[in-house]
Amino acid sequence: MAAITCEKLTKRYGSVTAVDRLDLAIGHGEFMVLLGPSGCGKTTTLNMIAGLEEITDGTLRFDATDVTWQPPHKREVAMVFQSYALYPNKTVRENIAFPLQLRRTPRAEVERAVADVSEQLEIAHLLDRHPSQLSGGQRQRVALGRAIVRKPSVFLMDEPLSNLDAALRLSMRSLIKHLHQRLQATFVYVTHDQAEAMTLADRIAVMRGGLIQQLDTPDGIYSRPANTFVASFLGSPPINLVEGEIAADGRFARGALRLDLPPGAVAPGRAVTLGLRPEDVAAPAPGLASLEARVTLVSPLGSETLLEVVAPGDVALTLRVPKEWRVRHGDSMTFGIDPARLHLFDRQTEARL
Amino acid sequence: MAGRPLAPRIGRAVLLAFFSALFVLYVAGPVAWLVSSSLQTEAQITAIPPNWLPPEVNFGNFDAILNAAERQVTYETRRQGDPATGGFLPSGAANLIPSLWNSLTVGLWVAALNLLLSVTAAYAIAVIDFRGRRATLYTVLATRVVPDIALIVPLFLVIRNLGLINTLGALVVTYLAITVPFTIFILISYFEGIPRDLYRAARIDGCGHWGALRHVYLPLSLPALVASLTFAFLTSWNEFVFALVLTQNVAAQTLPIVISGFVMDFTTSFSFVNAAGVIAIIPPVLMAVLFQRYIVSGLTAGAVKG
Ligand SMILES: Nc1ncnc2c1ncn2[C@@H]1O[C@H](COP(=O)(O)OP(=O)(O)O)[C@@H](O)[C@H]1O
Ligand SMILES: [Mg+2]
Repeated sequence: MAAITCEKLTKRYGSVTAVDRLDLAIGHGEFMVLLGPSGCGKTTTLNMIAGLEEITDGTLRFDATDVTWQPPHKREVAMVFQSYALYPNKTVRENIAFPLQLRRTPRAEVERAVADVSEQLEIAHLLDRHPSQLSGGQRQRVALGRAIVRKPSVFLMDEPLSNLDAALRLSMRSLIKHLHQRLQATFVYVTHDQAEAMTLADRIAVMRGGLIQQLDTPDGIYSRPANTFVASFLGSPPINLVEGEIAADGRFARGALRLDLPPGAVAPGRAVTLGLRPEDVAAPAPGLASLEARVTLVSPLGSETLLEVVAPGDVALTLRVPKEWRVRHGDSMTFGIDPARLHLFDRQTEARL
Repeated sequence: MAGRPLAPRIGRAVLLAFFSALFVLYVAGPVAWLVSSSLQTEAQITAIPPNWLPPEVNFGNFDAILNAAERQVTYETRRQGDPATGGFLPSGAANLIPSLWNSLTVGLWVAALNLLLSVTAAYAIAVIDFRGRRATLYTVLATRVVPDIALIVPLFLVIRNLGLINTLGALVVTYLAITVPFTIFILISYFEGIPRDLYRAARIDGCGHWGALRHVYLPLSLPALVASLTFAFLTSWNEFVFALVLTQNVAAQTLPIVISGFVMDFTTSFSFVNAAGVIAIIPPVLMAVLFQRYIVSGLTAGAVKG
């Protein structure tokens, strides 16, 4: 077990700052997900933790030990790559055994460990094949096997599932979650897939431009996004963001649109962005703010229905409603909205209010 | 194929066969004549019309080469043989076998050391992100911009001042200077084509740089390594100008120097020279046959990499 502490971790490539003074404390046995769009510095952060990229500035600690300058093979971390990175000239058996052989593990022990791991991952029948003879899912299992065979205290995973098709991705996702529960090791998992992040993480660090935007539990990230970037990065379909002002009566105003807010939330006159999650609408009821809108598109999803509606002030919104609601294209409807579920952000700083 | 007219197909096949034959004749003709004439007597190869194939196979020239050391070659004994029958020896004939060993020794050292130096240098430049790696690469390549001929005099002076004139070591060092930059260049482009994640995986799994080189880069670049080995050996084997300047006698002279000496003799025995030529092409041909399946993929490696 190991806790990982990043203090002002910085990576610069020439004039490009890929990771900018990142502070992050990952606890023993925690499943930490680094989430963000492509190019935000997730891989660079992971590689610095692994020792594969030199740290430009800052300190990295495993437990109390400063490992900032330690080469990767001294760090006792295992890593799984998006490209699987299996050695093409070695068989599956040799791939999995390789980390143990480098540690001069006795042969009998290596064989036992390989058999054990391949049993767990259901790849025992593939041991004598070469990677080129495996499917993507099988390769990823072998890559996982090579990582867990060492029983390391830290697992690093860089988008391990993004080369797999959707169905396989789901089953591998639960496999990884089971692994984490069984191994009790510290996981740092990089992805740009919000669903992966939500389902796997103990905590998520949302990154943009080399900076952490928010560090919180999946629920905290989803229900209290720190800014409009985080709000719009999580959720499918994405959150509705509407720019407007706080009117004199304390309500949100955008053209003809008026929405009740929790009392005393924000001072009148302030320029804000309002956030409304598609699923945060209900039938009109006392205590709920009401919203009149005209339905322009109905998309049944089976379990529920997606609506595109136009509210007063020409505000287009996407809403998700129970499938029992009988809605047709062109209907005008009234929705109920709980003011406490609305998100308000400063329009200038984009930060949550 | 369905419906394609027959006539153009035949025409195409005939044209292809014709030009292929022409090309083979052009490339292989001189070699064939070299081999054929080495098995003939001097009279037979100077006959008109020429004997394309030996009228009778005659190993006299090879016998002379292998036993040259036992024969005394003087002006008088030379005159006894009739040049027209090939029964005489050039004055340097006894040097041929020693020079063959010199060539082999130098070639093998150059091939081995070239690989050792180039692999480590190419790994460092291609894989390790150190300050000044671009500059290093350009410096290495820049040494190859200068034509060899311009380096001869300075090189001669350096070698002489080191007291290495007429030693095999001087040749090895000189040939390495020619082959190493090229080989580094070939290997860098090959190494850069190996996915970086394999390097990362190896480092994570517990390899240092030597381990990554041994477990990832070497096994995955076998064709390039064989191509480098062959290239270095052949460069050394065929080299003439530097060897001419840096060596003086049988202690260090290589095959090309000794063979060319035959031609400058008072009378040239073409059948003898050609027999020496056949001996000179045996090692490269063996090498090519042995390594052919690697050489082709090694030489085209840089071309297909994305
Ligand atoms: N070797 C490199 N040289 C220069 N810039 C790089 C290098 N690697 C990454 N970068 C830059 O650093 C930033 C972060 O990259 P990366 O960590 O790979 O992002 P992510 O994994 O989140 O997609 C990007 O802008 C990328 O262009
Ligand atoms: Mg990445």
